[in-house]
Amino acid sequence: MSADSQRACRINIEDFEGPLDLLLFLIRRDELDVTTIYVAEVADQYLEYIREAEELNLDIAGEYLVMAATLTRMKSRMLLPVERALMEETEDPMETLMRHLVLYKAFKEVASDLRENESIWRDVFTPPGERERYKEDIIETDPGQASLLDLLLALENMTEKNVPPPRHRVRKPLLSLTDCVNVLDKLLPANVSRDFADALGKNARQAVVVSFFVAVLELVKRGWLTAEQRYPFADITIKRKEERWEVNA
Amino acid sequence: MLDQLARQIEALLVATDSPVTLNRICELTGCGTESAEQAVLRIEAELSSGGHAMVVARLAGGYRIVTDPDLGFVVGQLFEGKRHSKLTRASLETLAVIAYRQPATRAQVEAVRGVNSDSAMRTLLERDLIKIAGRQESPGRPLLYGTTARFLEYFGLDNLEHLPRMDEMENLLKLSADDIERMASELSGEESDQIL
Repeated sequence: MSADSQRACRINIEDFEGPLDLLLFLIRRDELDVTTIYVAEVADQYLEYIREAEELNLDIAGEYLVMAATLTRMKSRMLLPVERALMEETEDPMETLMRHLVLYKAFKEVASDLRENESIWRDVFTPPGERERYKEDIIETDPGQASLLDLLLALENMTEKNVPPPRHRVRKPLLSLTDCVNVLDKLLPANVSRDFADALGKNARQAVVVSFFVAVLELVKRGWLTAEQRYPFADITIKRKEERWEVNA
Repeated sequence: MLDQLARQIEALLVATDSPVTLNRICELTGCGTESAEQAVLRIEAELSSGGHAMVVARLAGGYRIVTDPDLGFVVGQLFEGKRHSKLTRASLETLAVIAYRQPATRAQVEAVRGVNSDSAMRTLLERDLIKIAGRQESPGRPLLYGTTARFLEYFGLDNLEHLPRMDEMENLLKLSADDIERMASELSGEESDQIL
């Protein structure tokens, strides 16, 4: 076991907030500057560390493995000759990673500033004010704390208020069944099959389609029309069966 | 000795449930903004010269009178076992990203942190430190999160401008805006908002 891997063993993956945190740790431990890290060096250490963790059967989050793959790709890219034009066109993934590390590092530092604020202001207490006496008015409820009664009371409070009932506009049916049957009567000469959708035209509104569909069902029931559908959702073919339709019957 | 106006304001700052804004103080006492500010200064001076255990805190855009943090070790005993635990590092990092980048989507937070932040976000929502601040008009319309007034109080901040290293972080975020967007859109393909 190399000295490096021995060191790696002693750090626990659960102490890190993710692959970026681990990378920052490795960089800082070796006193490398984030902006001048040597890919190969850091990648080796990172991979070594992940390997150790795997050997110890530690549960490694997917993000760590993704980073391992990224670092391996970067390393191999450095070893392979790459055409100049290609190099200039695509952005160096190393640069992207370094920028990401700088960004994450800044947030990590800010988070520790916030930690300081937290520990000061945790020790600050406020007079209870009128909180206790007027408690009922401002019940603060933790998730899962409201009972059925609370909900019913809230509902009652709402209904007590003078809320005008919502207005509904009821549309008169545009087509009666008789209308539909009359139209179908004209559309269907004897012994001619027609596609139901075709008969109505492509732009028929939904309400129209439904009205006609009901009419077709009614006609089929009376035995004046046959309707065929080869499989679910297929086109429906309709065909006149009875010569004369007694519409008003 | 405090004058009548300062006494009135002092009473308001003690009795209130949440920080009282200057406007509200003026409304309730009928004085002008400037005299209210002056009166607050007189209260502060009186509290400190008298060696009192209370201080005036400027929090979330208002004022309230609180106990001196130096006495936390004594007062804290009254509430032992009832106090919230400190936030975890994951929660603090998540909160930091949301605070500076707000409104931010979960994918943006995870892009910056490079790690799933689901449970941290949930804790922050439950503790009322962040809130849903709308939806982003982009594919999937992900939820946007921002910080609450409670957040400012929790960290003893008057407003968001007082966040630590605000200028530095703003610059950095401006420079990394494209990176964050790119990483976030890679992430948001994989997951959806499950919090609600």
